[in-house]
Amino acid sequence: MSAVIDDAATTDVVVPSVDVAPESQPVGWRHRHLLDVDGLTAIDLDLVMRTADAMREVLARPIAKVPALRGRNVTILFYEASTRTRVSFEVAAKNLSADVVNIAAATSSVTKGESLIDTIRTVEALGAQMLVIRHSVSGAPYLAAEVFSGSVLNGGDGWHAHPTQALLDLYTMRSRLDGGSVAGRKIVILGDVLHSRVARSNIWSLTAAGADLWLCGPPTLLRGFEAWAGRGAAAGRRFHVTSSVEDALRDADVVMALRIQRERMASGLLPSLREYAARYGLTAARLALAKPAALVMHPGPMNEGVEIAAEVAAGPQSVITDQVTNGVAIRMALLYLLAGVASTGSGASPAANASPAA
Amino acid sequence: MTDLDIGRAWLVDPTVAREGPGEIVVRDGILEAVTWLEREEADGIDAGGVVVAPGFIDLHAHLREPGNEDAETVASGLAAAAHGGFTTVCAMPNTTPTLDEPGVLARIRTAAAASGSPVELLAHGAVSTGRDGETLAALGELADAGVVGFSDDGAPVRSASILRNALAYAGALGLPIVDHPEDPTLTDGAEANEGFVSTVLGLRGWPTAAEEAAVGRDLAILADVVRDVPGARLHLTHLSTAAALELVRRAKAAGLPVTCDVTPHHLALSDEWIAGARRFAWEAGEEGDPWRDDALVAAPYGSSLRVNPPLRTPADALACLAALADGTADAIATDHAPHTEVDKMVEFGEAANGISGIETALGLVLEAVDAGHLTLSRAIEALTAGPAAILGRRSRRNGSVGLVEGALADLVVFDRAERWMVSADRLASRGKNSPLIGLDLPGRVLVTIAGGQVAYEADLVTAR
Amino acid sequence: MMSGRRIMTADEIRRATIRLSHEIVEKQAGTDGLLLIGIQRRGVPLARRIAAAILENEGARVPVGALDITFYRDDLSLVAQQPVVKGTELPSGIDGRTVVLVDDVLYTGRTIRAAMDALVDFGRPQAIRLAVLVDRGHRELPIRADHVGKNVPTSREELVRVHLEETDGEDGVEIERIVDVPEPVGAGEPVG
Ligand SMILES: [Zn+2]
Repeated sequence: MSAVIDDAATTDVVVPSVDVAPESQPVGWRHRHLLDVDGLTAIDLDLVMRTADAMREVLARPIAKVPALRGRNVTILFYEASTRTRVSFEVAAKNLSADVVNIAAATSSVTKGESLIDTIRTVEALGAQMLVIRHSVSGAPYLAAEVFSGSVLNGGDGWHAHPTQALLDLYTMRSRLDGGSVAGRKIVILGDVLHSRVARSNIWSLTAAGADLWLCGPPTLLRGFEAWAGRGAAAGRRFHVTSSVEDALRDADVVMALRIQRERMASGLLPSLREYAARYGLTAARLALAKPAALVMHPGPMNEGVEIAAEVAAGPQSVITDQVTNGVAIRMALLYLLAGVASTGSGASPAANASPAA
Repeated sequence: MTDLDIGRAWLVDPTVAREGPGEIVVRDGILEAVTWLEREEADGIDAGGVVVAPGFIDLHAHLREPGNEDAETVASGLAAAAHGGFTTVCAMPNTTPTLDEPGVLARIRTAAAASGSPVELLAHGAVSTGRDGETLAALGELADAGVVGFSDDGAPVRSASILRNALAYAGALGLPIVDHPEDPTLTDGAEANEGFVSTVLGLRGWPTAAEEAAVGRDLAILADVVRDVPGARLHLTHLSTAAALELVRRAKAAGLPVTCDVTPHHLALSDEWIAGARRFAWEAGEEGDPWRDDALVAAPYGSSLRVNPPLRTPADALACLAALADGTADAIATDHAPHTEVDKMVEFGEAANGISGIETALGLVLEAVDAGHLTLSRAIEALTAGPAAILGRRSRRNGSVGLVEGALADLVVFDRAERWMVSADRLASRGKNSPLIGLDLPGRVLVTIAGGQVAYEADLVTAR
Repeated sequence: MMSGRRIMTADEIRRATIRLSHEIVEKQAGTDGLLLIGIQRRGVPLARRIAAAILENEGARVPVGALDITFYRDDLSLVAQQPVVKGTELPSGIDGRTVVLVDDVLYTGRTIRAAMDALVDFGRPQAIRLAVLVDRGHRELPIRADHVGKNVPTSREELVRVHLEETDGEDGVEIERIVDVPEPVGAGEPVG
């Protein structure tokens, strides 16, 4: 499906004489929370992409601000330091005229022995209606969703999921690839897959969108993914896993390098950053294996000279700054879509309603 | 004293390898008559209804007293045991302070006496002082005081050298070392069984090799010790992997004095539950994929499912059942591990390990029986004669767990056809950390008689 | 497709559109500085039809834009889900122009209020006017149309549906009663 507004109207453009009939229009957004991308259908993905298109148009306006979430309290609760993602959410919420409350857990009382559940109850009592949460423990947003009566938007949890990143990645690919689709395109995620919530979320969204997905990295950082690849995501959507950079990059349409962290050396998963850069770094020479116009992506923040060469990150094929801009549009789109469900209380996703014993 | 007549039930007595229709009469706490019914008398009685079995024995339960009475006390733990059909419970020594000297044992015995519960409290002593893994605890004094084995459970006996010495020393005392097999260098920070589910959920992997490697080490040391100390005995508790059970199977075939147990949760549940599935291991099958099978019905990351060893794959659970069936596993032990909400109602990775399981053990085992993966008689044996053989003669029941006429009644009556809903209110344990809350299980316990006294009775029994 | 009582035929719509185009030009005394902005969705093809009529009669090309007011609605809590965004495209620069907002039906006035909010975020028009195909009354805000194709008295229990060739495959306006359908009614059973 096209990511372009289908009935854009100007004096020169002719509106199609027959629009989509109401009954064949995609079903609206029905998720109360966005905790993972595993439950999103192709129709959901398309709705997010189309809403993000509208948000990009808003961002291009002289006043890049609309009143859609006026009077809504969006609380941003980050248990992990991350300036870029936090600011992206904050800008997105403010562009929609929401009231934004920022809580950096690292610098507040929430680290002093207060449980996550107590903190969630507190922010709700302080008026939070939508909660953006980032946490270093996988699954923490699910616990938050159990006690929070509004919508929870996962801003990244442990190694598990980073839904907004995966969606902005998909959006960036669709807007930059010829034909506006990732279907059948060879997309490579290169690097520390094991510890990457970006990689995990991209597995769901990219295979749902029909991409030919390849994961590549040292064997110690791919542990477990061979088993997953063999089963495939959901209904058998297969992907590839390899430690051969050459096999992965050959004729690729998109190459996404992942951040490598120093802690990996301490836990004995890698000999050294130098060796990693030499064997798995995305250099100009390696990029030459991919298609000539292949896109270069990185979720940031980058270690230039380690997982990606500076000349590649800043080169003509890089769409890394697009990712940042699109991140705001995608987050605006998701806040907007979730607000529609939360305001009626009609939203119901199985994961949000089922309450596990604990 | 207790009087009880159970007419027309299904009796199971593993000690004489017999099950069938029958009746029992208890007078003044003594099992006065056990009558096996024949032919037409037995018409209409089958194994699917009311069952009378010897009281269950739990080799492995954490009663948390002293030190963490908010999670459990001896009194609440024994009440929970009785509700689960258990009449004998072996308390684990990882209390605060550690049960590494007779004083702590005396304390919990006092608590048991004060509770008034007729359930028999036994205890394991620690292998090392303070479970530090470095120096031997007062094994001889503990043996004299009446412990039934030694364990650093909660953790493995860390040092191979200490394990070697402990096996020899305890062997001479006629007691087993009960090891929790885990190679800690492979499980640092681990959250869930390493595999498909942990990969998808982004949980730190807990490899099966951590258990297999530890079992391999323990068996090698046992083989070495047993040459000099023929009485040395090793009991491996809560085995959870097909690979480790296979090592035990071969060691037994080679004649090593090793025994092992599996838990109800490891034989019935699997790591799929962490993803939000709520189907039993045998329903998932070896190739189960809850995402593909559309089997995710609950929220993922339920912290009540965090346990050590972790819930494994459905294939591993089926291996636990197969090991029970062929005798590789000698017993079912609950690893009852109650926790407070403060320790459990937190992020999955921050939650304490453990399941409050002594009250749901029978129900899970009966699910496996109903599904055809275990016979009823073998299941009862693994809850009675199996653990009794490991305890030897240290129990009040003196190693005999049959339905023996003239002995103090020690039995459980449950109805396989009656399902009950697990809820926080219904659990007698202070630990409400059960992943089964909200689900219903078969085999409601009607009455538990321990040492000739009623330890538990369901409301309806009074009317009978 | 249409099931209610027809209140405007295709021909009546055509004539109303031409009349609206005359009125608009007359009020502006020409076409200089004129800008037609349709409100998504059916205001857009209507605006385009008016522009085509002006071109035919005056020989002047009046720019047409599309305005999506989704983000400006004040009734978020009343809709079950977020409306699908249609997108906004305005001819460059609305400052100092006379903007004629075009919509199919004028009812409570809330859509127009939202459209004006949206518009002023894009610039400062010299004047904003309103042209609608149907005015059905029941205003909840102090808003009135400058140019009306047809005034239709309605009750609140009625629904006015505008069908346009471009969006619905045919032209026509109909009115129907909102019937409360009892929840589970067997298929084929008569209702009411
Ligand atoms: Zn243990």
